[in-house]
Amino acid sequence: MAQASTQAAYRPMSGRKRKSFRQHLQDNAGILFVLPAVITFLVFGLYTVIYSVILSFFRWNGFGKFSILPFACAPPACQFAGLDNFAYFLYQEPTMSGFFWQALQHNLIMAVFVTAGTVLVALPIAIALNRAAKGQTIYRVLIMLPMVTAGIAVFYVWSFIYEPDGLLNSVLESVGLGFAAAKQGWLGQPDRALTSLMIVMIWSSVPMAVILYLAGLQTIEKDLYEAAVIDGASAWQQLWNITWPLLLPVTVVIVITSINGVLQGYEMVYLMTYGGPAGHTEVVGLQIFKYGFGDQRQLGMASAMSWALFVLVFIVALVNLRIFRSRTEV
Amino acid sequence: MDKLRSRIALGSAYIVLTLYALLSLYPFLWMISSALKSNQEVLASKSLIPSQLHFEIIVNTWDQLNFFKYFTNSVIITVFVVIGIVLVYSMAGFGFARTKFVGSNLLFISFLGLLFVPGVTVLVPLVQLLKALGLIGRDATLPQTYFGLIMPIINGAGPFSIFLFRNYFASLPSELHDAARVDGASNWGVFFRIFLPLATPIIATVGILNVIGTWNAYIWPSIVLNNPDWYTLPLKLKDLDLQIVIQWNVRMAASLIMITPVIVVFLFLQRYYIRGLTAGAIRG
Repeated sequence: MAQASTQAAYRPMSGRKRKSFRQHLQDNAGILFVLPAVITFLVFGLYTVIYSVILSFFRWNGFGKFSILPFACAPPACQFAGLDNFAYFLYQEPTMSGFFWQALQHNLIMAVFVTAGTVLVALPIAIALNRAAKGQTIYRVLIMLPMVTAGIAVFYVWSFIYEPDGLLNSVLESVGLGFAAAKQGWLGQPDRALTSLMIVMIWSSVPMAVILYLAGLQTIEKDLYEAAVIDGASAWQQLWNITWPLLLPVTVVIVITSINGVLQGYEMVYLMTYGGPAGHTEVVGLQIFKYGFGDQRQLGMASAMSWALFVLVFIVALVNLRIFRSRTEV
Repeated sequence: MDKLRSRIALGSAYIVLTLYALLSLYPFLWMISSALKSNQEVLASKSLIPSQLHFEIIVNTWDQLNFFKYFTNSVIITVFVVIGIVLVYSMAGFGFARTKFVGSNLLFISFLGLLFVPGVTVLVPLVQLLKALGLIGRDATLPQTYFGLIMPIINGAGPFSIFLFRNYFASLPSELHDAARVDGASNWGVFFRIFLPLATPIIATVGILNVIGTWNAYIWPSIVLNNPDWYTLPLKLKDLDLQIVIQWNVRMAASLIMITPVIVVFLFLQRYYIRGLTAGAIRG
């Protein structure tokens, strides 16, 4: 208290005097804590982002020379293209833009169904987990396992499940649903591949959502439900009028991270189908990757497309925040 | 009546949980059982219980594929990534939460903005950068290449880690800080002696998230590592894909070897992990 008042007393006088360099350093010493992160960010983050923005206005096949520090772009391997890259994949080049819009469509389908699926599966499980006092830890650990093992191991297990003579088909046949089996494998059939991928995605994203919902449920006061029961509210009404609205902030977090992840992600598609069969599971991220590292490299195109993806991801996140914020504040 | 109803509710809760636990566990059970079967049996029988236990498949897979070597590579990379992330971003989180400096808010927001930049956007520029720095290519040594592999992973984990650490440090009572300052401790003393030791849950969370991510990472290492001797486990595992006759039991044994360490780490730290994750995300 005393210290604060003396400071307030002499601040007007010293405020007019210029602070010494030393004083400046001392006041901002906290920046030293942030410095390693900032340096890493400048070199591996900001530099690459700027590089990518500039590259999106050039046509470059990866050979020859292109650099931004110092600037160099040697024809014929590298040429200034203006907005051509963007125009090509957005509308000008029929095959290219066809692939792009198809991939984007898959991204959007995944964003909707994977996100909805995650929420619809995770919420009941979290509610059940919250009720189950006995054995909660063991159930929680079991349910969380899929999030620990993303990547290639998951790809192998699921690809066996989805094989033509794999687990899923045999199970279907053994329960008399053989007509529903996928003869060319679940990932091999154009009409089923996307759905099959989305199931794996939901399977691996449910655990995180369960944890977040469980944490949210544990903050809801029990009195609310007791009061509701006295008023004669059914279980369904309790869910709809108490649980769901109070969990809305958690749902926002889940929905935004899920959509963000689905729109940006491509590793699972890369490992499980590489966009096949015949482009039926192609997503924008994978297409960008193919332009960047595939057989026919068009690095400027890869950059241009990835900035289109960034704009989409950003707008969707903003829209989500808007919608949910207005809902939660009312 | 009410008692009956609540019993039914509890009963159905356990049914839902058991069913889903089985669903989430089944692929792993299948992985274990197939790793112990002969290849013919994997294809012929869909039973979880092998007719005969072939433990030698796991041992052979480990030996034949020279797994220990790739296992070590994976461990080295994961350890350096996690230590780097925890050190760099716990400091940054503390800096944002507990110290003042010009432009701190702007800087924090620009870090968060990075979350929306798709990872694939910077892949091409990163490769060019590493080439220009001589960190990848034919002349690059193992330490150089690994450094080039690790730094972008650390940077990629930055935004979310800073977010979690900052929220956590901001939630600790400010008396901690004041008391230490009165005792004459510098900001560094406060951080290393008081705040960092208190941050175990969030360190576990950030640690596990990145152990999982780095251990399983496929695409970025596959771009950077061009010497097969330097491969990580996932790259070695993907090589199995190139065999003409698929040996499912070997695949499953290899997958099992690969996921076991992460599961062990997870089982030890899961309590902290959940606490840290929910504290960071819900409060934010």
